[in-house]
Amino acid sequence: MLPAILKRAGLFSAIWIMLTGAAPDALAFGAAAVAAAVWLSLRLLPPVGTVRLLRMLALVPGFLWGSLSGGLDVARRAFRPRPGLRPGWVTFPTRLGGGARAALGGELSLMPGTLAAGCSDGRLIVHVLDTGAGFDQAIAQEERRIASLSHRA
Amino acid sequence: MTLDLLRLLLTIALTGAGLVFYVAGTLGLLRFPDTFSRLHALTKADNLGLGLLALGLAFQAPGWAEVAKLALIWLLALLAAGTVAQLVARAALGRGAR
Repeated sequence: MLPAILKRAGLFSAIWIMLTGAAPDALAFGAAAVAAAVWLSLRLLPPVGTVRLLRMLALVPGFLWGSLSGGLDVARRAFRPRPGLRPGWVTFPTRLGGGARAALGGELSLMPGTLAAGCSDGRLIVHVLDTGAGFDQAIAQEERRIASLSHRA
Repeated sequence: MTLDLLRLLLTIALTGAGLVFYVAGTLGLLRFPDTFSRLHALTKADNLGLGLLALGLAFQAPGWAEVAKLALIWLLALLAAGTVAQLVARAALGRGAR
């Protein structure tokens, strides 16, 4: 529990410092806000394992690249006279639960051609923009990446 | 002076590109055939549009604090976009949209 509290306090403090530009007269309010945010986050999202923040940094370049190609792909289709959409569904069995599954779904929704639409019987339901383009090939890799972010306690 | 000019040009190019993606997201929202395809367009194009906008503005920022704030804005909007896209898609699926 203590590592989770310290990590979250550090994260929220960093956000506060960014928001206020480290203004000295805002620090007291920041301390109160950080304490409240940590308490609320522990209630809403209890820690289930340790999240490896450094590992998260290692995933940033891949995520940025995926964001770029995802945005370019839909933009190309939106501007083309015929967008060439072949929408369809795939389901993907995942052992991730809770916050990790929400993170995977959120990430997939920003990657090229995939959009998460909830979960049923341990299978992630994914909408694919073009079933002929192989967008669903990337889902397993994204799942491994997200899974590598947390150690089960 | 030339450095200022370079920064200005970068800002114009990047924010201009960002706006193109906002237009693309809106076009997709209007043109794509179903709720889910429209969500793809809106989420992904706007994410990239805001990223480019923030990056372009970062070249005009007076200091690192402002750059950090722009990065934070993009990060929070990204978290919200990924989450909201899933929630809307799940709700639409639950209501029997294809």
